[in-house]
Amino acid sequence: MSKVKTVLSWFFVILLVMTSAWVFLNRNRRAEPGKNYIYSTEEFQQVDPALIHYVEVEPLVPSFGNPSSLAIAPVGQIYVGGPNCVEVFPDGEKIQVPATPTCLAVDDDGILFAGFQDYILVFSKERKSMLCLSPSKKAYLTSIAVDEKWIYAADAGNRRVWRYNKEGGNPIEIGAKDEVKGVRGFYVPSPFFDLDIAVDGSVWVVNPGYHALENYSSEGRLISSWEKAGFNIDGFSGCCNPAHFALMPDGSFVTAEKGLPRVKIHNPDGSLRCVVAGPDQFDADVTGLDVAADLQGKIYVLDPGRGKIRIFEKKKK
Amino acid sequence: MKPLQKQSRRDFLRIAAAALFGGAAWWIARRRSPRMVWQIDPEKCTQCGRCATHCVLPVSAVKCFHSYSMCGYCDLCGGYLRPDAHGRNTGAENQLCPTAAIRRKFIEDPYYQYTIDEKLCIGCGKCVKGCGLFGNGSLYLQVKHDLCVNCSECAIARACPSDAFKLVPASDPYLLKSNQEERIS
Repeated sequence: MSKVKTVLSWFFVILLVMTSAWVFLNRNRRAEPGKNYIYSTEEFQQVDPALIHYVEVEPLVPSFGNPSSLAIAPVGQIYVGGPNCVEVFPDGEKIQVPATPTCLAVDDDGILFAGFQDYILVFSKERKSMLCLSPSKKAYLTSIAVDEKWIYAADAGNRRVWRYNKEGGNPIEIGAKDEVKGVRGFYVPSPFFDLDIAVDGSVWVVNPGYHALENYSSEGRLISSWEKAGFNIDGFSGCCNPAHFALMPDGSFVTAEKGLPRVKIHNPDGSLRCVVAGPDQFDADVTGLDVAADLQGKIYVLDPGRGKIRIFEKKKK
Repeated sequence: MKPLQKQSRRDFLRIAAAALFGGAAWWIARRRSPRMVWQIDPEKCTQCGRCATHCVLPVSAVKCFHSYSMCGYCDLCGGYLRPDAHGRNTGAENQLCPTAAIRRKFIEDPYYQYTIDEKLCIGCGKCVKGCGLFGNGSLYLQVKHDLCVNCSECAIARACPSDAFKLVPASDPYLLKSNQEERIS
């Protein structure tokens, strides 16, 4: 009996020693990195709930993955661009295009302008390709806007805005550095360079490196600008924001940022009006949120991470 | 006891020839399989900070690399300035790097060039995270092979939460974001 006890005792001692050795050898003996080694934007992720004036409603889901561009027609149809296709909501029409459009615009007559890397294709109402504009081989087109007279295209590759007439002629460059006229030039560190046309016919352009929005006449004269850099909720963070914006019917700006993904509304003077969606409503690594606003004040956000057009409506009082 | 069997000359030659061919085959196979070294896949790296703390060397062999061809030369650089920086200047209170290993140099308005001081860099990846979030992702981490002792089981690879460490041939030891950096590395 005592022999069995001795054997069992030795067995448990050996088991204890082996377990201890295993735990010791597999233990992480190195300290985890402290907070000084970790990049954190946590304090800027929080948004005061009182500032959020919008609520999310049912999204639009395109039939293809990886939506890349968004536009709202004056009559209210929503155009979504994706791989070799532009889908129209709520009609369900699908327009075949030769590549993935980087930007879209639609005019009052329903003519579609699809921007690809270095050219613009114009499609008639019958969806026949009727014009091709190519500003430069170095072009990287990121935004198009059209009104009754002009086509404006933002070109991140050349850091210029190109203005054409509706037939594709009479091109002029807007935004070339001219210190005498007070134009500092566009500073576009990454391909996020957006523009939109105001109700008075002038064009607002993001100057992303300066965190600014600049207003130019159709002839390219600088009219006004405002800017606000910073990670706080009233500013634009990182090296090139706002990544996208859209003008609302009252002249205010809906802006979308990258890095710290958030959608906000700024008054026409640049001051913050409210937040549409805070960083916690988007995936942390999402880039390229595009925005559009309709005449009723609904905000449409192209969320490439989730492959949807997310819709936000003003909260009811 | 069994008496020792006498080997013939033919048996001896057979064994010698087998040993010779076997050795030659092992030597050729060894020469053909390339020597492998550890490297970080920039696409998988999540900048957790463990490269700074888990390397067996006193100062990590992981360093920040800069792809100049991808850089936007921004004034407000997400890799250089802290998110809550009070100003866009070289003040220590504004710098993100805990060891001030990034140098900022004015080029022309509004462009700035950023270079990494390798002696000061500890490979924490804080700047890489900031650059990737707000910039073009031109900063990234790589194992410097003039410093790495190439442990057979890399301590950082064991601790890496995103499985970003992998073995690559020693003849091509870097996973660069741009070919233009080959000259620098």
